[in-house]
Amino acid sequence: MVIDLSPFYGSSTPMDRLFESLWPSMAISQRSMAYPPLNIGEDDDKIYVSCEIPGMDIADLDLTLTDSSLVIKGERKAVKGKYYRQERPTGFFQRVVNIQAAVARDRVSATMRDGVLDVVLPKSDESKPKKISIEAV
Amino acid sequence: MTDNAVKTEERRLPRVKPATDIIEKDDGFYIFVDMPGVSKEALVIDLNEDELKVSGKAEYPLPEGRKLGHVEFGGGEYFRSFTISHIVDKDRIKATLKDGVLELYLPRHEMVQPRKIEIQAG
Repeated sequence: MVIDLSPFYGSSTPMDRLFESLWPSMAISQRSMAYPPLNIGEDDDKIYVSCEIPGMDIADLDLTLTDSSLVIKGERKAVKGKYYRQERPTGFFQRVVNIQAAVARDRVSATMRDGVLDVVLPKSDESKPKKISIEAV
Repeated sequence: MTDNAVKTEERRLPRVKPATDIIEKDDGFYIFVDMPGVSKEALVIDLNEDELKVSGKAEYPLPEGRKLGHVEFGGGEYFRSFTISHIVDKDRIKATLKDGVLELYLPRHEMVQPRKIEIQAG
């Protein structure tokens, strides 16, 4: 990927991270950021990527999983007519999420509900911490 | 435990003005409102005289054990109101919610359909 549009791009310096931590309560609509907005979360055995893309059918979305990233691509089409007001974004969009952990690729699932895309990436067994039992001799 | 309940009650959702398109087509007006995360049950549309109010709530409760590492959106209370012109037939307003987009169709009154006036040569 030539252009890195991942959410972690450009905010890797400690100063940037400090800045971000001061701003969490700011209204969502005022933040300037890549479209569409996405959240990344995880628990013990899964990584969750959710994304706000209203008006998109899951069939029109292009989800690609490469070795180290998840790419969400699509196009929001505009309705034909005489516009009095246009605030909803249209056009092509793409987001790249870098994933460092090993993912069980064949068990990745994506669902779309009320305009929110949810991608569940189960962590593969190799990436889970393993307990080593110590035997007393 | 009770303290926790009070805390969640206090933490109110931010009020968000949803992005809206207003379009005129041959058959009437269309309003599209982006309300991601709002289900049909959480959507309220109120029509009072000339005032059309749209509100909805989107909540994303975090399941037990899940941590968010990167956050760009969250729950919110969407609210927007529109003033409707008298040329709209209020009885035939239609609303559909699909994939987080509310579509309001506001048809014109039959009488106010634009009419061409024929000019007769004298």
